[in-house]
Amino acid sequence: MEQSENMQSRSCGRRVAGRRYVALAVGVGVLLAGCAKNAPQDTFQPAGSNARKIDGLQRELFYISGVVGVIVFAFVGYAVWKFKDRGQEIPEQTHGNPKLEILLTILPAVILAVVAVPSIAAVFELDKKDNDCVINVTGQQWWWEYDYVQGSTCGGVEITKSIVTSSELVIPADVDVLLRITSRDVIHSYWIPRLNGKRDAVPGRLHTLRMQADQPGIYTGQCTEFCGLSHARMRQAAVALNKADFQTWVTNQTADYVAPEAGTLAATGEGTFQAQCSKCHQVNDLKTADGTPVLAAPDLYVVSGVAPNLTKLMTRTAFAGWTFDLISAECRDKLWNAPPDEFGALYLQGVTPECFDEANLRTWLRNAPAMKPMYADPAKLAATGGKTRGMPNLNLTENQIDELIAYLLERK
Amino acid sequence: MAIIERPSLAPAVIGDEVASPPALVTPTAAMGVFKRPVSTTGWKSWVFTVDHKKLGIMYGAVALFFFLVGGAEALLIRLQLAAPDNTVLSADLYNQMFTMHATTMVFLFVMPMAAAFANYFIPLQIGARDVAFPRINAVGFWLFLFGGLFLNSAWFLGGAADGGWFMYSPNSSPLFSPSHGIDFWLLGLQITGIASLVGAMNLIVTILNMRAPGMSLMRMPVFTWMQLVTQFLLLFAMPVITVALFLLGFQRNFGAAFFDVDKGADPLLWQHLFWIFGHPEVYIIILPSFGIISEVLPTFARKPLFGYKFVVFSGAAIGFIGWGVWAHHMFASGLGPVSVAVFSAATMLVAIPTGVKICNWTLTLWGGKLWFTTAMNFAIGVIVLFTIGGLSGVTHASAPADTQQTDTYHIVAHFHYVIVGGAVMGLFAGFYYWWPKMFGKMLSERMGKWNFWLMFFGVNLTFAPMHILGMQGQPRRMVVWPSKLTGEGFFNLGFWNKVATLGSFTIALGVLLFVINIIITTKKGAKAPLDPWDARTLEWLTASPPKEHNFDSIPTVHALDEFFHRKYEEVDTADGARLVKVKTGEEVLAIEEAAGDAHIHLPSPSYWPIVLALSFPVIAYGIIFNRMLSVVGAGILVIALFGWVLEPSVADDSDYDPPAEGSGPTKELASIG
Repeated sequence: MEQSENMQSRSCGRRVAGRRYVALAVGVGVLLAGCAKNAPQDTFQPAGSNARKIDGLQRELFYISGVVGVIVFAFVGYAVWKFKDRGQEIPEQTHGNPKLEILLTILPAVILAVVAVPSIAAVFELDKKDNDCVINVTGQQWWWEYDYVQGSTCGGVEITKSIVTSSELVIPADVDVLLRITSRDVIHSYWIPRLNGKRDAVPGRLHTLRMQADQPGIYTGQCTEFCGLSHARMRQAAVALNKADFQTWVTNQTADYVAPEAGTLAATGEGTFQAQCSKCHQVNDLKTADGTPVLAAPDLYVVSGVAPNLTKLMTRTAFAGWTFDLISAECRDKLWNAPPDEFGALYLQGVTPECFDEANLRTWLRNAPAMKPMYADPAKLAATGGKTRGMPNLNLTENQIDELIAYLLERK
Repeated sequence: MAIIERPSLAPAVIGDEVASPPALVTPTAAMGVFKRPVSTTGWKSWVFTVDHKKLGIMYGAVALFFFLVGGAEALLIRLQLAAPDNTVLSADLYNQMFTMHATTMVFLFVMPMAAAFANYFIPLQIGARDVAFPRINAVGFWLFLFGGLFLNSAWFLGGAADGGWFMYSPNSSPLFSPSHGIDFWLLGLQITGIASLVGAMNLIVTILNMRAPGMSLMRMPVFTWMQLVTQFLLLFAMPVITVALFLLGFQRNFGAAFFDVDKGADPLLWQHLFWIFGHPEVYIIILPSFGIISEVLPTFARKPLFGYKFVVFSGAAIGFIGWGVWAHHMFASGLGPVSVAVFSAATMLVAIPTGVKICNWTLTLWGGKLWFTTAMNFAIGVIVLFTIGGLSGVTHASAPADTQQTDTYHIVAHFHYVIVGGAVMGLFAGFYYWWPKMFGKMLSERMGKWNFWLMFFGVNLTFAPMHILGMQGQPRRMVVWPSKLTGEGFFNLGFWNKVATLGSFTIALGVLLFVINIIITTKKGAKAPLDPWDARTLEWLTASPPKEHNFDSIPTVHALDEFFHRKYEEVDTADGARLVKVKTGEEVLAIEEAAGDAHIHLPSPSYWPIVLALSFPVIAYGIIFNRMLSVVGAGILVIALFGWVLEPSVADDSDYDPPAEGSGPTKELASIG
């Protein structure tokens, strides 16, 4: 019995050791081999000072953890190989070694102290709020709204008039801007991985987050606090422009409304927009035929009480919580991969007729909830008194959609 | 020979002590027309049992069932995420799926599976014949079962909870989650919460009061020690979640405004309440498995646990520090830099006692005579996988780093290494180690090895890629990921998502082998000797499976690893002293049995635990659908409480069929019960 037991355990031991090495090799391989190249949301490719500070900390932690891990695995692997049952004596029944124990308690404490000090210093540094450029960021199901605070100076550009926009946060490059983040409904979290860590948007609270990008470019992000049905389709991006381009952008955003030329499809579209869309969506300075200002009242129709401002829709590259592209994949790739000195000019073109991805917008206008789930089921609106959470299906005709697209294409 | 007696007029005898006559007199017979369920075979012997071993097996069977349910949910999640913009699940269904996957795995698998082992083995390890409060033990099991079924019945009654397992407010209010799913969730967790709470009280009293003579606290097996710490954590953590769930329940069902921002509430209140429970919960999940592998490693290394005292105290230290780190789940919530700094430092502190444990387990292997059974493989697997989980934990103990990592797949990778690699693999070590004791049959070691390696590789295939996914920008809880964010190169994020899905099915295959192993073993497994592993602790000083009363005579304990020291003695030889096996386990047991107690009283089975437990889901369905049903449930509850209180702990002779001759009704209180 004893004999066969030993034999059995001996052969097992060999198999265990062999496979353990394979397992270790696979594990190490997985860790070393495989990161995606140029992933747009890669935290290991910081593109600004705040993210770089975190990245430095993070790498230090990964290296230390890696080394500790390898030591532990080597130790376990060696013990497993060295002390497998080869028929040796029952070992002495020792109960430990207090000196070694104390050493092994102090050692991790020292390592952790080394890690803790820079971590805690970074907490306070990242929390500074000494910025001249302040942008209010408000989350709601399932998109972000930005409000550039009037009187802020962003990289030398003064914001003379509040700018309300959504999804794409445009900032001057190489300037630390301060985001003041809150929410209108549930908790969301604002995250642009290459520029900084995330910060929750909590209703009733105002949190701040610094953002700085070294170079012009587009940096994508995603809401990271689970916020209900379409959480996965609540995305955002930060766009950094050099100072001159940023000035151009601000000037354009605050420019006066230009009505479509009379007699065009777009002019018909303006009327359709007022009839169908203006209940929720604001277009600044839009007036009815008799000159009355058209004011959106989304608070009457939408749970969060707001809908994206569409005054300059076509200066952005995606819509509906930055989920669906307004530009074709080809133009998107060109923009995303543009070198920093060419990026600004390309971005400021907005959605050009050549780049416009009409299919996305058309499908959306036909039936928005079919593209992005928004509790459109009327049975689920009882709790909200009939208010919807996003855009309902407006049952537009194809003609109306044509008109609206023509009108919206000029909003840039 | 020991015999289990029906009650008699003679005083109960336990061990060497003669119980003093009872001061209280309980009614002599069960109230009403029903006889007590006294049968020891058949389905009634299970449904009405108060035997800790039967309850332990039932806990385990039900937990295993929920493990398969939660596993199926996990597979659906991974199928959905295998490809970009996938359509296996709708957004609504996906949100329910990950909410219920987590809820099921935490509350209906890992916790009750640990409770199964606690129930079965704590009395055996401390040399007791049952737990302190057997009927409370029974009601705990039934509450767990009914709570779990109630929770899952939501799938068929309008949809399950869809707010994520930490159910952040205000997304959990009826405005944002109009289905009844969250009501099912919170009421179901209240019911299973009662189970955890009464279980904790029961086991604490059992461990502190019912240890065999000579078993001081520092001679207690580490599994029992870790369970003691776990039960104290439960005792203090469950009330917090109970309060939070009551607040949420009142908000959802009675218009209260605890988390309503418009009325001046702060949604962070929920987060604090949830994580003050939720972080100790992490240790509630992991410590029992730490206990299991602290039994398995010494047994198969053939030497005592290295630094027993350090392992015990570091377990207790984890239990204490675990209360001071909850806000590390909230580093991105906007707590302000001072709180964040404090909790960041406190979190790093937890790594110290955890590191001590890893070192001690490794040093237990050092210098041993290692026998690689399946249980041992799982235990070593825990050391390796838990170390990975622990080290990735350190990477987000640093708060600034955590603001990049939290709510991404990096976190998902971390806690799955800890929970699957640590807790679940530990439970599997427990299955293979203790199965022969529980069922008297050996699980197939051959299939066991396959089971282990499939799970070990599966865990790494599934969760290692998630470290990369998270660090490269994939958040958790997203029903779809777009291909435009996956990056370039062969190892893009789409590739790693596919690998993770492949890994999840590898784990599933391992689990399937385990289930097949159980079925084959049950049908034609080899009969287990009482001490197949040459083990060290008292639970092996019993028959396999143990007799209903566990021990014929309560063993007197002289040392840590008492059973080992009864088998092995130092013998002087020419080349010095060596340890020699002087007795087999069977011989040691024979000596004990020869001195068996003459009179052993066990508490009798009872109808009332299951009736009492049944009232709770009735009340809960009533709260959701029709309050009159709650009144009915409350009525059942009152009847059950009275029935319980008025029931003697030991069945009257008239309950037996045929009644025992000659002996009249007894006024005994059983010493146990």
